[in-house]
Amino acid sequence: MPNEFDQEIKILVAEVAEVSVDKLDDPNVSFSDLDVDSMKALEIAAAVEKKYKIIIPEGEIPKIKNLAQVIDMVKRLKG
Amino acid sequence: MWDIEKIKTILPQREPFLFVDEVVEIDPGKRIVAKRYISPDEYFFKGHFPDKPVMPGVLIIEALAQTSILLYATIYPEIASAHPYYYLAKVKSEFILPVFPDDTLILEARNVKIISTGGIIEIEARVGERIAAKMTASFSVKKKNESQNES
Repeated sequence: MPNEFDQEIKILVAEVAEVSVDKLDDPNVSFSDLDVDSMKALEIAAAVEKKYKIIIPEGEIPKIKNLAQVIDMVKRLKG
Repeated sequence: MWDIEKIKTILPQREPFLFVDEVVEIDPGKRIVAKRYISPDEYFFKGHFPDKPVMPGVLIIEALAQTSILLYATIYPEIASAHPYYYLAKVKSEFILPVFPDDTLILEARNVKIISTGGIIEIEARVGERIAAKMTASFSVKKKNESQNES
């Protein structure tokens, strides 16, 4: 059962990626299976940067391959 | 600040498809302000529309997109100077007021997230103090040898 913070990121990612939230119920589902390409990954990065007031280095963006990685990255960068 | 000759070293577009005349403000990496005078002699006014000339919205988007490239060039001048290909990926736009002959567009682009391979930018076009159009756009940048390898 995801916690509130994870759920918040899930909803944000679904909105930016233009997929229904239930498609992200498995946080390890590959973004490529959801047609999330590199430009959408950049949009996801920009959206979480704005919401959580973090800076995602360029080198981290290609690592955005699924929701679980987004959640881990936000938690790590938020400190 | 940047005249048309400097702009031409960055933008691949040329007349009559060059929609930036000069850059008047630069906050490197964050924001850029450019201008474009819309002459009554613009080629598109002949058909859009013969009895009531109005600048087509798609060309305002083009002006905004070209301004975005100039903002990118303030962050990655070395990549921009190698004349990569710029691809507009996504545009969310809103047209608020029409642009007429003799108007001067003020084009202001703000960095949302720009990396070496692309970016997301918020941009607006004003005529005087009035906002004529605004958009959020994403674009990708590919070096010429990368694009050739893909084809």
